[in-house]
Amino acid sequence: MNDFITNIKEINSVIIIQTNGYLNNVGGEAIAEIIKDKMEQGCVKFLINMKETKIVNSIGVSILIEIIEKLQEVDGKLGYFNLAPIVEKTFNIMGLTKYSTIFESEEIALNEF
Amino acid sequence: MTSDLNITDLQLKYLELETLLDITNDLNSFEDIQVLIQEILVKSCGLLNANSGLILVEDSNSDILHIEANFNLDISILRGILFKKNRGVLKEIINSRKALSINIKNDLYFSKTLCKFGLIAPLFDKNSLAGAIVLFDKESRKGIESFSDSDSNMLSALAAQASIAYTNIKLIKNIKEAKTFNENVMQSIATGVFTTNLMGEINHINKTALNIINQEREQIIGNHYEYIFDSNQHINRLISKCEQDSITISESQVNLQCNEKITTVNISVSPLMSDFEMPIGTVVAMEDLSSINKLKSTFKKYVSTQIVDQLLENDELLNLGGQEQNATILFSDIRGFTSLSENMKPSEVVETLNDYFNQMIEIIFKYNGILDKIIGDELMVIYGVPNSNENDSENAVRTAIEMQEKLIEFNLERFLYQKKPIKVGIGINRGSVISGNIGSSHQMDFTVIGDSVNLASRLCSHAQPGEIIISDNVWKDLINQNFFISKKLKPIKVKGKEKPIIIKEILYDKWKFNYDFVFIKLEDYLLKNLSENYTYHSIDHFRDVVYQVERIAKKEKIKKDLINDIKLAAWLHDIGYIWSPYQHEKISANYAEILLKSLKYPESKIKMIKGMILATQLPQKPKNILEEIICDADLDYLGRSDYTEISDKLRMELELDTKITDLKWLRIQENFLKSHRYFTTTSQKQRTKNKHKQLKKIESKLKSM
Repeated sequence: MNDFITNIKEINSVIIIQTNGYLNNVGGEAIAEIIKDKMEQGCVKFLINMKETKIVNSIGVSILIEIIEKLQEVDGKLGYFNLAPIVEKTFNIMGLTKYSTIFESEEIALNEF
Repeated sequence: MTSDLNITDLQLKYLELETLLDITNDLNSFEDIQVLIQEILVKSCGLLNANSGLILVEDSNSDILHIEANFNLDISILRGILFKKNRGVLKEIINSRKALSINIKNDLYFSKTLCKFGLIAPLFDKNSLAGAIVLFDKESRKGIESFSDSDSNMLSALAAQASIAYTNIKLIKNIKEAKTFNENVMQSIATGVFTTNLMGEINHINKTALNIINQEREQIIGNHYEYIFDSNQHINRLISKCEQDSITISESQVNLQCNEKITTVNISVSPLMSDFEMPIGTVVAMEDLSSINKLKSTFKKYVSTQIVDQLLENDELLNLGGQEQNATILFSDIRGFTSLSENMKPSEVVETLNDYFNQMIEIIFKYNGILDKIIGDELMVIYGVPNSNENDSENAVRTAIEMQEKLIEFNLERFLYQKKPIKVGIGINRGSVISGNIGSSHQMDFTVIGDSVNLASRLCSHAQPGEIIISDNVWKDLINQNFFISKKLKPIKVKGKEKPIIIKEILYDKWKFNYDFVFIKLEDYLLKNLSENYTYHSIDHFRDVVYQVERIAKKEKIKKDLINDIKLAAWLHDIGYIWSPYQHEKISANYAEILLKSLKYPESKIKMIKGMILATQLPQKPKNILEEIICDADLDYLGRSDYTEISDKLRMELELDTKITDLKWLRIQENFLKSHRYFTTTSQKQRTKNKHKQLKKIESKLKSM
């Protein structure tokens, strides 16, 4: 776990990753690495708690897209909750929400996932 | 990867435009420059895929910029670098007025960072460089790359928007600071100030004015002045006149009545003008004179009212400096106070001194003395400064006599409390002194200095307890020498003076036992010190016995001077109850002996007083007519109509120890009345019959039980 990933937990076969800071190249790669490891262990559902990530760039978004691609191959899912408005807007513009879901809270995410 | 999942250039452009729009919208919603700067930086980094960045902002009044915000960058490596406007890329962006790429490796400012690529854009405040946005290392999936021309254009656009927001916030900040500054000045001044607008509504008011008007800010702001000053039509007229004529009006000593508080103020109403010299309201200034009055009262602790008024009327008297003039100086000093205070608690020492000083200073002011200094138990008083008077020496001598006489009364109080007397020696001299405010501009002491002052102090040291020693200069300066009795003393040698100093002692009426005065003091002492638990042995009992001894003594044809002695014994006969009800007659007799000796009461009579007190002990055994009188007076109520009322009080007092049943109480009364007899013919004639009636009543009650 690096500084960007502050917590990983599993609830009902869903891996919840908590991030902190800039979701850029470095941050995106950190998420990708965790998800790759967990996928190898058979996990296919992932949620990212982005409460502490207030800014994201297109490189971070493109890494998330790469993750979604890989998950689609194994019928997996990626979702997010606790998004700052600017981050949510970026995800929408970048078309991320067509292939992954934004939730208001962890509870709702777990219920609907 | 499917085509659906590609981020297209169109999406990126859309994101750029949306972000730019967001930033433009957001920028004007910030009021805090620091928050704004951080927001610009973070959004710029996100939008342009920069790995990190910082924003430099100008230091006020200098050509140097400092790092105001940073994102994802370790700025410790930039510590110590001077970002000067006229050097390096900062100079370049001033000229170009747009974003420029930075060659980090060779850059004057950023070469120490571990970054490879940089992009810098200027923030302008009008035409001056106010700061710069610096972004580092554009990220891509392949790694770090340089910023493109498109990035440069985008950052220029962002910086242009940010500059406008930055300038606006700075302007608002400056206006707020100026407003706060003005308000702070207004709030902190001691003059009450409020302003009215063209509608006559009060729109600003400071704390002092709120205090004077005695209302909360919310009750005042927005209301018409006529409403606020409804009970002060005079103020309304002043403001109204100022509004009509656009002239400044001032009035002094105006009484302002607000919410039952009356404040005397000096008031000034001036027109409030706009930049175009048009009236836009009024400004009202009120000087609260109560602070001056407070100063006056504080000052009056040190000098008499007359002197305070002189000094306040004549500012020049308050100037530093001095003038040579003749003055009379009085020194008084408590003799043996150090040894006296050794056996006292510190609080008692302070209480004693305060009590003593209060009484002495009252006399000093009565004779227009200036209390120059209180040094321990010593007082230094000046007469004749700042303005001299032909009565200065006479005032000083009269002060001294009255001080000594007052001390007699003061000491009587002390004797009552079995405390040692306070005795003072007083020395007075007259001569040339340098008078004025001596000290620094921060702390001035109005005082006098010179040989004459020193001699007054020496005369005081020479005076024995109770003596008033004056120099020949003082005696010669007395206009009415025949008012005073003096005794010539042997001239004294004083250090520093070749010739012996001629001195006199001023004589005054020293203590003479005054019955009436002692009775008043004793009654007061009993009132203050008798326990409220004693329902019978209360002040009423003392007053009754004193009254009865006089009545019986007169009937018994006792001489007038002896009647006073019996009255004295009556005031003292149960005084021992203050300390204990047991053997109180003995305690009373001992107390009387000590007190009366202190008061110089004749020794032979003290024995007589003690005898009268002890004679009241039950069973009463009087040995002479005086003792018979006090014994009969003490139990006079046994044969009076108020017997039941008084005996009930006695029962209540006796029940402080143990409860007495009704039957027992009747038996006590029966036995007491049967065994009692009056000794004087007067009481036998006037009280025996009634006493027997009481006895009969009690006996019949006992029979019926």
